[in-house]
Amino acid sequence: MSRLAPIAITGLGCLSGAGVNLAESMQTLFSNQRNPQPSRRFTTGHPHCYPVLELPAEFTLPLDNQEKVYARSCQLALVAAREALTDAGWDERSLRGKRVGVCIGTTIGCALNCDDFYRAYKEDDNPDIGIIKRYLYSNPAAVIAQQFRLDGPTQTIANACSSGTDAIGIGSSWLRAGACDIVIAGGADELARVTYSGFSSLMITDPEPCKPFDLKRKGLNLGEGAGMLVLEHEEVRQEKKVRGYVLGYGTACDAYHLTAPRPDGAGLKQALAEAFATAGVSAKQISFTNAHGTGTPDNDRVESRVLNEILPGVPFVSTKGYTGHTLGAAGGIEAVFTLACLQRKEIPANIGFSEADPELPATPVQENTRIEGDIALSESLAFGGNNAALILARGDA
Amino acid sequence: MRMAIQGIGICGGFGQGVAALRAALQTGRVEPQEVCIEHKGMTDRLPVYQAAVDGLTEFIPKRALRRIDHFSKMTLLGACLALKDADLLEADRSRTGVVIATGYGTLKTTFDFLDSYLDFGYSCSSPTHFSNSVHNAAAAHVSMQFKATAPSLTLTQFEMSVSSALLTAQIWLAENRVDQVLFGAVDESCEVLHFWRKKFFAEGEQGPIRPFALETQSAVVGEGVSFLLLTRAEQDAAYAFIDRVKLGNHDVCSLRLPQDVRLIVGADGHKETGPWYAQVLKDRTATAYAPLYGSFPAAAGFDLAVAALMLRERKLYLLEDQGVPETTDLQATEEKLACLKFGPAGDYGLIQLSN
Repeated sequence: MSRLAPIAITGLGCLSGAGVNLAESMQTLFSNQRNPQPSRRFTTGHPHCYPVLELPAEFTLPLDNQEKVYARSCQLALVAAREALTDAGWDERSLRGKRVGVCIGTTIGCALNCDDFYRAYKEDDNPDIGIIKRYLYSNPAAVIAQQFRLDGPTQTIANACSSGTDAIGIGSSWLRAGACDIVIAGGADELARVTYSGFSSLMITDPEPCKPFDLKRKGLNLGEGAGMLVLEHEEVRQEKKVRGYVLGYGTACDAYHLTAPRPDGAGLKQALAEAFATAGVSAKQISFTNAHGTGTPDNDRVESRVLNEILPGVPFVSTKGYTGHTLGAAGGIEAVFTLACLQRKEIPANIGFSEADPELPATPVQENTRIEGDIALSESLAFGGNNAALILARGDA
Repeated sequence: MRMAIQGIGICGGFGQGVAALRAALQTGRVEPQEVCIEHKGMTDRLPVYQAAVDGLTEFIPKRALRRIDHFSKMTLLGACLALKDADLLEADRSRTGVVIATGYGTLKTTFDFLDSYLDFGYSCSSPTHFSNSVHNAAAAHVSMQFKATAPSLTLTQFEMSVSSALLTAQIWLAENRVDQVLFGAVDESCEVLHFWRKKFFAEGEQGPIRPFALETQSAVVGEGVSFLLLTRAEQDAAYAFIDRVKLGNHDVCSLRLPQDVRLIVGADGHKETGPWYAQVLKDRTATAYAPLYGSFPAAAGFDLAVAALMLRERKLYLLEDQGVPETTDLQATEEKLACLKFGPAGDYGLIQLSN
């Protein structure tokens, strides 16, 4: 693959258990705080109560009545998209007449996991058909396009935990191909009983706050949130300052197992090679990596080995200790964090890590760390064997 | 960037393979199966275009399919048929991308997973059902089966899934990320889907589908898979070329249809999309093929396969209830078709093809 044109990022927005906007999230990350707790949104009869990272209880999503009709993943996506558009200086009126694409990654946000409806259906308890209607009206990319009255391509990517990273990579390609002028790209996902039950059934959920890359890591903590970027074609952006650039994107499939990463990391290495080639940069230019770092034994082992081989000595951090694993939103949130850290020239401590695992050749940063350089990597691994990587650069805004 | 269609793998209510699709086009009629739905002591009978996956064992041993659900089996069958049609079953697939478009994903396994904890308690949630209920499980099975280590993508955009997914296939080829793309559109039906559609549409689900009765609900549930093997257009196309893919919203910015194309519309008996077709078609003639395979989001992939087949064979098949001759020869040296699909909010996908 050859080098592709860089794509300007003009706006950022995010919310998660780490904060309800980008500024608050960065404050949380650099004060090394987190607050995993039992879910307030649902209950289950699980013998263990696994902690999750939810939005603060006192926070009400700033939505109008129409927007409150949508599923929560869409609501989170709308809030993050609005923050990113405002950051980029756009509103509904100024977007009129532009070709604006929306590319959003999600998992729960596109699945018919309506267990309240299904329970009533099974029990013949007059199931509320409104739940199905809400599902049918709640495709995240379509909802953003409708709410902002956008005309352009829409795509909701369901590539499990790499969805958000893939959405940013594909949205960038839309601009290069001339499919639109502006793209809102990122990821959004809500917490749900279904994923909570699913991940606990796979026995990859930590009953305590998660510990990415630590010797005693037991698994992930789930989270909820959204992270959005506004990407602009140079002809639209003109003299506007940029938050950063998407320099490159790579993706590859392990073709190995439905849920486990390939032990030799071949798929991740291939995705990284493609990302570097399309960015036209070398590993030596990477100032830090925002790792996938779920805290599961398998993921962290593979990722540590690959990072040690491809990016030896380059500092890395998993921010999932602060946000939980937000699944389809993770790639979006972590791309936003990566850009904000580039701007700040500092990365936060990998919260939860305290004891090195001898099986892991590389370990993450244990304290807030100054970084040199203008380019960073954000990577995601996913069920289905998907690996995706973004090379991002600092902007001037 | 143009793409070339080198193979088709299709399976629906009409049978499996290109020959079965051609036969359906020639006869102009496919009868849906009658499905009995029993729910809490009540029995409903509903027409459904169901897809059988018997042919899959020609390609994959039965033993290897034991834990694979119907949705993924349909997906695998479509992929195998497309590769066979393109004579690439034995080829190296390290540069083959996989793109799967689906409106609903794997419904049955999603509900099987819910059954596991609703029936037996949360501690009995099934990890197998959970991992297979994830939307991209089918794409993963395809990648694993064919050792396809290039990019794999699953997306879900209801009625826009197919056109949106084609955009990604096009970009992967243009950016040289892959040399070919296994592009699949797949959806399945299930009892819960039938239940909710009955609630929404009542007797409107009994068929027959009348695509151009745009103010009438006449949809019939369908399921199936349609795969295309796509390459860059620098190679000759075994079937046809995809010239352009455009997505937008007619309600926000009016769609202007190209004048030099024959139109295949995705009108499938859903009256909520009828006004959009009525607005853009006006006096234009168009054809629709939903009566051959039913109403489901991924059926837009079937329209695409029909267009590709007709361009290769230079025949325009017209269904009997559309009041026109059954077959028209496509005489022009450069023949163009376009597949148009509307969603309920005016969102559209327009795919232009030529021979």
